[in-house]
Amino acid sequence: MPMRRFTNALASPQAVVLAAAILFALVIAAFNPGFLSLATLVDLLRNSLVTGIFALGVLIVLASGGIDVSFTAIGAFAMYATMSLVMGLDVPMPILGFFVLSALIGALLGLVNGVLIGGLGLPTLIVTLGTLSLFRGALLTFVGTTYITNVPRNVISFARTMILRLENAVGQLVSLPLSFVVLVLVTLFVAFLMNLTRFGRSIYAIGGSEEGARRIGIDVARVKVWIYVIAGTIAGLAGMTHMTLSRMANPFDLVGTELNVIAAVVLGGARITGGHGTVTGTLLGALVITLINTSLLSAGVPSYWQKVVVGILIVLGTGLPILIDRFAKHRERLARAAV
Amino acid sequence: MTPNKGRENMAGKFRTALLGALAATAIAGGMVGTAGAQDKKEMVTVVKLSGIAWFNRMEEGVKEYAEATGNNATQVGAATADAALQVQLIEDLIARGVAAINVVPNSPQALEPVLKRALDNKIVVVGHEGATLQNVTYDLEAFDNKAYGEHLMEALAQKMGGEGEYAVLVGYLTSVTHNEWVDAAIAYQKDKYPKMTLVGGKLESAEQQQQANAKVRELLRTYPNLKGIQGSAGEDVVGAALAVEEAGLNDQVSIVGTSLPSVAGAYLETGDIDMISFWDPAKAGYAMNVVAAKALAGETVKSDDDLGVEGYEKVRVDGKVIYGQAWVDVTAENMDEYDF
Repeated sequence: MPMRRFTNALASPQAVVLAAAILFALVIAAFNPGFLSLATLVDLLRNSLVTGIFALGVLIVLASGGIDVSFTAIGAFAMYATMSLVMGLDVPMPILGFFVLSALIGALLGLVNGVLIGGLGLPTLIVTLGTLSLFRGALLTFVGTTYITNVPRNVISFARTMILRLENAVGQLVSLPLSFVVLVLVTLFVAFLMNLTRFGRSIYAIGGSEEGARRIGIDVARVKVWIYVIAGTIAGLAGMTHMTLSRMANPFDLVGTELNVIAAVVLGGARITGGHGTVTGTLLGALVITLINTSLLSAGVPSYWQKVVVGILIVLGTGLPILIDRFAKHRERLARAAV
Repeated sequence: MTPNKGRENMAGKFRTALLGALAATAIAGGMVGTAGAQDKKEMVTVVKLSGIAWFNRMEEGVKEYAEATGNNATQVGAATADAALQVQLIEDLIARGVAAINVVPNSPQALEPVLKRALDNKIVVVGHEGATLQNVTYDLEAFDNKAYGEHLMEALAQKMGGEGEYAVLVGYLTSVTHNEWVDAAIAYQKDKYPKMTLVGGKLESAEQQQQANAKVRELLRTYPNLKGIQGSAGEDVVGAALAVEEAGLNDQVSIVGTSLPSVAGAYLETGDIDMISFWDPAKAGYAMNVVAAKALAGETVKSDDDLGVEGYEKVRVDGKVIYGQAWVDVTAENMDEYDF
């Protein structure tokens, strides 16, 4: 029945998030007419770059029924260690090399999580809370605490390269940096992984029921180790992207933003309990969180109130889809009872 | 340089290193000082952690003081900014019977008991960045937060020609010093520059450059006529400058704030940041020892006293707290003088 499919699509988490985002944008536009423009959208994409990349890594973990809070520490560690290594050795390094090195370091740190969670079967929240502190502490104690501001010239020119540059309503330049490509590539990779591979199906299976997954012959421990290695790799890429956007390496950055990212993924329809979550939803979630965080000012909401509004929107955004889902199930049951 | 001279230098360096190592062992072991050190009163500055640019710079000031006065003044610090390690260091110094301890506390509260013990042992204690410390002879602050905030606003107003829209950034809405600076600045603007208007309230950067950047881009979008930005956390002005540069508004927007040349240098050079301010840890290190020496000589420090250090020529004393006016303004012209 087409009508039924339409209401189903409407009740899907992505649709609710998208509707919420559009509604929110309309409300802002009512206060600030210049808001609805291509320039705003470009600015939004640029602001949600790092959140978006991190979110895709978190999606994989949440879909498997785990939770990861250590990814920001991994991102900061990988980014800063890469920079101090390259600056210390003083060898010319192509820009791709920075990303590859950072991704490798991220993968190694992710492996630590993976071994503890997959190999030893420890609870994910406890492990990643521990490694969050461990990685950050190790970074500040052994790698360094000073800001690296004299980053190599090719990093600066990479940061200055824009894919798109246009003027907004008030004549200011708005641009999309080349590092947007990183988000595109990570998106393609995660979408492929989650939707078109056996590995992806195993992740959802484990998230749905770990015991069930084991019974149908999935090597749960191995899959879990890989999940955290991949999440670590993505975190390493996010860290390096953040560095190119800042044009400096600050070891104190990123840590503290993890809840924002997790909120984005959950807003996007992934469930803390596992088994659910899509790439489209996650990206939408990242956009909405960034939109909320970076446009309340244009609607004239004072700083203290911004937190209140962000909180309310997150509760609504995550609660509403669940309520709609429950309501739909309830109606289905009624319909079945009527037959 | 001749090879011969090189060898001499090397031998000299080796000797210094050896002496340094010996001194380090003595400190680490908490041993009683050698007879030689007893001749002059020993004054030790305990910093939050050693090895970072800020406290290396402070050590230069302490050394300068030792050279200028001939007093036995040195600086120590743990490898990590840990309150417990700092307590240990001070306990060792008490056991060694030093005359004065200058301390930059990691956690003022955690140090109170051990500082009380130091005072009980007739040791002079001078704090820095610890206006809340109770168990000290004096506490030296580089400046009064209110005066500093007004100073920044004056600089911003000058750049803006005394009119137009401006915005302020703080690290966190809860960080006490940042809000004191900014509140004083806003009050000063309302009083002295009525043609200027604050827009957007206090913006929170979370002390993250990218957050400051996003906030300022949003700010520019909302208030396209914005003419000035005052930052508080070291990252604020950098994030703001990047946003202004990206929007192509370098000529329209003036940026001043607290930061360090090592953080903001690139943008000072291009002129995107007009001026940054901070206080020079070398001067603070020097001045702490001056205060300690005065206290050892039985003198008291009163308001309007001159400590003989730049920025501390006319101090204000409030209880045990001594305030200087020791902010340093850095622009593209003089940024090379500071390596931290």
